[in-house]
Amino acid sequence: MPNFRAAAAISLAITLVLPGCKIIKTPTAEEAAAEASGGFAPDKQVADLWDSKVIPFLQQRAGIFQEVFALSKSDLDAAAARYGHKEKDGTAPWTFAAKVSGTIVKAETKSRAAYLEADVDGDGKGDVRIQIGPVIKGTAIRDSLDFVNFNEFKNQIQWAEFGKAFNTHVYGLTLEKLSREGLEGKKVEALGAYPLPPTGQPALLTPATLTIGG
Amino acid sequence: MKLTRRLTLAAFAGTLALGVAMPAFAADLIAIITPSHDNPFFKAEAVGAEAKAKELGYETLVLVHDDDANKQSQLIDTAIGRGAKAIILDNAGSEASIAAVQKAKDAGVPSFLIDREINATGVAVSQIVSNNYQGAQLGAEEFVKLMGESGNYVELLGREADLNAGIRSKGYHDIIDEYPEMKMVAQQSANWSQTEGYSKMETILQANPDIKGVISGNDTMAMGAIAALQAAGRKDVIVVGFDGSNDVRDSIKSGGIKATVLQPAYAQAQMAVEQADTYIKTGKGPAEEKQLMDCVLINADNAAKLETFALKD
Repeated sequence: MPNFRAAAAISLAITLVLPGCKIIKTPTAEEAAAEASGGFAPDKQVADLWDSKVIPFLQQRAGIFQEVFALSKSDLDAAAARYGHKEKDGTAPWTFAAKVSGTIVKAETKSRAAYLEADVDGDGKGDVRIQIGPVIKGTAIRDSLDFVNFNEFKNQIQWAEFGKAFNTHVYGLTLEKLSREGLEGKKVEALGAYPLPPTGQPALLTPATLTIGG
Repeated sequence: MKLTRRLTLAAFAGTLALGVAMPAFAADLIAIITPSHDNPFFKAEAVGAEAKAKELGYETLVLVHDDDANKQSQLIDTAIGRGAKAIILDNAGSEASIAAVQKAKDAGVPSFLIDREINATGVAVSQIVSNNYQGAQLGAEEFVKLMGESGNYVELLGREADLNAGIRSKGYHDIIDEYPEMKMVAQQSANWSQTEGYSKMETILQANPDIKGVISGNDTMAMGAIAALQAAGRKDVIVVGFDGSNDVRDSIKSGGIKATVLQPAYAQAQMAVEQADTYIKTGKGPAEEKQLMDCVLINADNAAKLETFALKD
């Protein structure tokens, strides 16, 4: 009898517990990483923002590169108000949103920090450098956006990871597939951002979109 | 009888009022708390903050916590006890310091953080910190260029409890790891210290004589490393630091260390005092609590313009 009772109790317990079972999906590597870092997933954040906010923002904000560049030399405040962004306090330089349309006069593809030099005014000389990676210097895309803010992040490490995620995203999306051969002489169209360069140095644009034509 | 008592009371109250009012005639006090001044970086911060505070008519109380969170907590108590109107703090750990800063806030003393941030907002009024990631990327880009994009190298890390150690290392690796021919053969902490930098470098060099470069999380460790390398007759090894100290400037000028990254320590400390002054007088803080100061690459081209953590134009 006691055995029967025990068996009944167990089967009852099983019946009671079963409906409480939940099928849990095995988390993806990305989700697991986010979990480990307290829910912070910069790559996913950037992927979610890219089409809905980043590209529309840059399209709306960007000026023609040579106009932005010239205005930043003659009237920095005016250029900043129209095309620029930076954190309210601190000493970061202005980052400008710009569209480049020109001809590739030089392609530095030996270094891993590869770039294209584009002539935008037809004088045959390079006016702006466009980074094509895999090493992308700086965090220009992040720094050009007016809807992201360092103060909303836990610390510099997360802010940095967030900044790098934009570079990784654009590399995977566009730049990685780019042919590195025979670029010189071709047409280039790019939408992106660059920080105000030190006097005498060329602008270094990080593209968000890039098209190379014939 | 009653009258006497009333008079005594009045006299007592008068004395008390006078006693309370007295400090108002003396200048307000600003406490300046940093790590040990053995590292010229922290000394420059303290000197910069003190000079600005005196210029604005404050008295100062300059203290060092030696990177000890318990000692820092006692120093915060001292500052509160002495009636400081504000605390300028380069803190002793991004997690451990949150409680200390909160304690000062609860006692009505606002804190203005410099150099190192804490993992919390809304506790300090300002956190003015160097953009360590941007600076580390500049240092790493120069290091990779000097190395010709390939070769074995060593990384000396700062003290682990300090967020800046992690962020600089991350900035270095986000650049260097993109170059498959750059190989890190050793990575060790030398706790920001010159003597540890020397001894760690000595040991690492014995195990890895085939190194081409050393990238260090700060200048004092880089000074230790270059001394050990020179003692071993290894003048060929490329060393890059971080901070922009006069020691490293002189080493760059004499062909020792190749590059460093300037953190504007002096300007940062002065900015913190200015924000404290505004806050004391108007109750207004800056527009954003966390503020990043950009770093500047220093190499043989501009080393001559560097003096006490500031670049002359």
